[in-house]
Amino acid sequence: MPDRFRAWQLPDMPSIAVGSRQETFGLQLELPAITSDHLHDLASTLRMWGGEVLARRTALEMAELIGGVGRRFLDPADPLRQEALALMPLNSGLSPAMAEEVLDGMALDWTPERLDMLLHMEFAEPRVLDEFQHGRGARMVRARGPRLVVHIGAGNVPGVSVGSLIRSLLVKAPLLMKPGRTDVVLPVLFARGLAEADPEMDVAVGVAYWPSAQRELTDAALAVGDAVVAYGSDAVVGEFRGRTPPTTRITAYHHRMSCGLIGKEVLTRDDHQRVAHDAARAVSVFDQRGCVSPHVLYVEEGGEVDPRSFAETLADRLAHWSERLPPGLMEAEEASAVRQLTGEVEMRIAAGAPLELWSGEALAWGVILDPEPGFRGSCLGRVIRVRAVADLQVALSEMTSVSRHLQTVALEGVSPPGRTRMAEALAAIGASRVTSLADAPWPPPWWHHDGGGPLRSLIRWTDLER
Amino acid sequence: MAANLEAARRDLCSRVLPVLEAGPGGDLGEPDFNDLALALYRFQFEWNPVYGAFCRGRGLTARAVDHWSAIPPVPTSAFKSVSLATGPGDQELEAVFRTSGTTRGTDRRGEHPVVDLRPYHAALESTFRHFLIPDSADLWSASLIPDPARLPDSSLSHMVGRVSERLCAGSLGYFADPDWGMDLQGLGGALDRAVDEDRPVLLMGTAFGFVHWLDELFRSGQRRVLPAGSRIMETGGFKGRSREIGRAELYEGLSRCTGIPPRSIVNEYGMTELGSQFYEPSLRDPATPAAVEDRWLEAPPWVRSRVLDPVSLEEVGDGHPGILAHLDLANLNSVAHVLTEDRGIARTGGFSLLGRSPGAEPRGCSLTTEEILRAGGGTSA
Repeated sequence: MPDRFRAWQLPDMPSIAVGSRQETFGLQLELPAITSDHLHDLASTLRMWGGEVLARRTALEMAELIGGVGRRFLDPADPLRQEALALMPLNSGLSPAMAEEVLDGMALDWTPERLDMLLHMEFAEPRVLDEFQHGRGARMVRARGPRLVVHIGAGNVPGVSVGSLIRSLLVKAPLLMKPGRTDVVLPVLFARGLAEADPEMDVAVGVAYWPSAQRELTDAALAVGDAVVAYGSDAVVGEFRGRTPPTTRITAYHHRMSCGLIGKEVLTRDDHQRVAHDAARAVSVFDQRGCVSPHVLYVEEGGEVDPRSFAETLADRLAHWSERLPPGLMEAEEASAVRQLTGEVEMRIAAGAPLELWSGEALAWGVILDPEPGFRGSCLGRVIRVRAVADLQVALSEMTSVSRHLQTVALEGVSPPGRTRMAEALAAIGASRVTSLADAPWPPPWWHHDGGGPLRSLIRWTDLER
Repeated sequence: MAANLEAARRDLCSRVLPVLEAGPGGDLGEPDFNDLALALYRFQFEWNPVYGAFCRGRGLTARAVDHWSAIPPVPTSAFKSVSLATGPGDQELEAVFRTSGTTRGTDRRGEHPVVDLRPYHAALESTFRHFLIPDSADLWSASLIPDPARLPDSSLSHMVGRVSERLCAGSLGYFADPDWGMDLQGLGGALDRAVDEDRPVLLMGTAFGFVHWLDELFRSGQRRVLPAGSRIMETGGFKGRSREIGRAELYEGLSRCTGIPPRSIVNEYGMTELGSQFYEPSLRDPATPAAVEDRWLEAPPWVRSRVLDPVSLEEVGDGHPGILAHLDLANLNSVAHVLTEDRGIARTGGFSLLGRSPGAEPRGCSLTTEEILRAGGGTSA
């Protein structure tokens, strides 16, 4: 008998019955019996009552309140964290160790201190979210969140939806969220925690999961928001654009890929172990499903350690991480893609192609040393391509082919001022984040996700002129 | 060397061909299948340079395998990047079949080099006859699949051509051009002729071709009852070329517009990478279910299909979904054991194909080359 979980936290919850059920990785999600009419009513409640509740609080008070809930996910003694850790593996398929790693990494950014900092990083004066403030020149300015934000999550990385939920509340916008199928537990628990911390919050946050096949519900949700925040594949996000009214602002996070650039400076006997260790971790975290997860590592030739030896060390470190953070369960399609790619590489090697492959038992991980020019993405499943290049400039030109999908670039072994110059070139290609391999999986809450301000992309300004 | 290869090939062919010619009704028990499969493995290990190196890379020898299920399967994606003919690289090929890719045409295409068409033809004809013409009816063929003369690298076109030529009394023609543009008027005229002359028709096409045709029939309000004994072979796949509808709805529409009983609409599943095909037994065996959702695909006895867990490559338990692997003796001159990307579920008598698992949106940020190209911003890698 699988564990059960109510896949919603909605205002006026007792009146909603369990409709159908859907199984994830051992968790039976109980789906709410709701209709598009429900969603319209819900939107009115959230907009009217939720808006009123949020208007009575300052943004900084919201940071304190939300942070208080977020902190509970870090406290080993707290039942909210315990429930999250028990259910995340069953909902997302992540191994228990990985679920804990992900929750720890995510929840660090959900604390009062980090959220306070986020507000101050985004707004010189966060009170601009509460009332008109003097701006530059002879005007006053006021920033307001939308009256209702509709969030549609993806589910590739658990916790992403909670981040989205938090940002909405920080700009004092009520929200209706449909999380991804494999990221249902955290946003529902978070919303429940908020209502426990402040019962009035109940009317400001609605979280409910339904399958994408219930198009009429998704269409209703897209129609009721004043703003839509959507995560998903290019195809899914493109479709949402078409289904969202033209007057609704839509922030779409489509497919993204990340990669690493490793300069020869760091390819020394001493340093390369650390770099390989961090790289292996960046590949392993989220089982490589994150937009921040690297697909390719460009490794510069001419260092003390050559790219092939680096690849070998990387394989060893991936094996290490597969024990510390064991891989989770894959859908058949995901596992099949890994089988096909690694099998094809094996066959190409057999045919004499100059590739090399290292791989773990039971599709745990893989390293493909690939001398062929061109950026080729990974099949995921902790399979990383290592591409040896004479100069990192080669990497830049190859990455141009994926510029519209490029996100995080982890840059190692290029010291200033070369690092800034390289970042300049990466920015020109389309990268929105240049970081280290160690930090790659954990962007801070104020990161310009895909190039936009985390809070600023949600708000609308009003100028008061003299 | 070459003489040894040819002698081995001849010997193997003389053992396998009779099995293929005997058709699905033939008698091939497990021990005989296993003997033949192992003979193919040893032949391919020795004479297929790429496959031999692949097996040696896994620490295997020609004698190390004693059951067909332990023969290493080749993933279908390998057909896109390496040549899998058994024999020297410069040998003459009778055909090269290529996968169709998708409409957008930027995907790499798989290639199946065919050294000898005889096993392919033997498997095709005996199996097709068994499942689609068990009554030895005199049929006229009509095809919504392009003419093999104009699309010689399509195994599907080749198959349809061979069926028309060898198993039918005559051909009404091909009503799809090599780019899959449909001549639906032409088809209509040809079917009218068949009706006038009261000749039963064997209509062959893809799911998307039939959707186009049905849309046209509904639009124009035309429908004609085809002569008794007419039948349809439908082969799966929409590939973005038409709107997608369920198979039950498609068959119902086809049946309504042609008068062909649903049971006589038979699904074929074939792959460029395999010499053999799979069919539903609905037409041949009235004891099997007619309802589309209850049907299954049957393999001829010289093919063993298994549903595997993609992680462990172990067979999954009955009723559980997995990915399909086929060991096909008709692939004697390429590689016999193929690991597909198709999801399926084992059923008594065969297997069923599954679409994507419900609700399984892709979970990672993995993009195909094609998606990257569509997004623009660069040239092909």
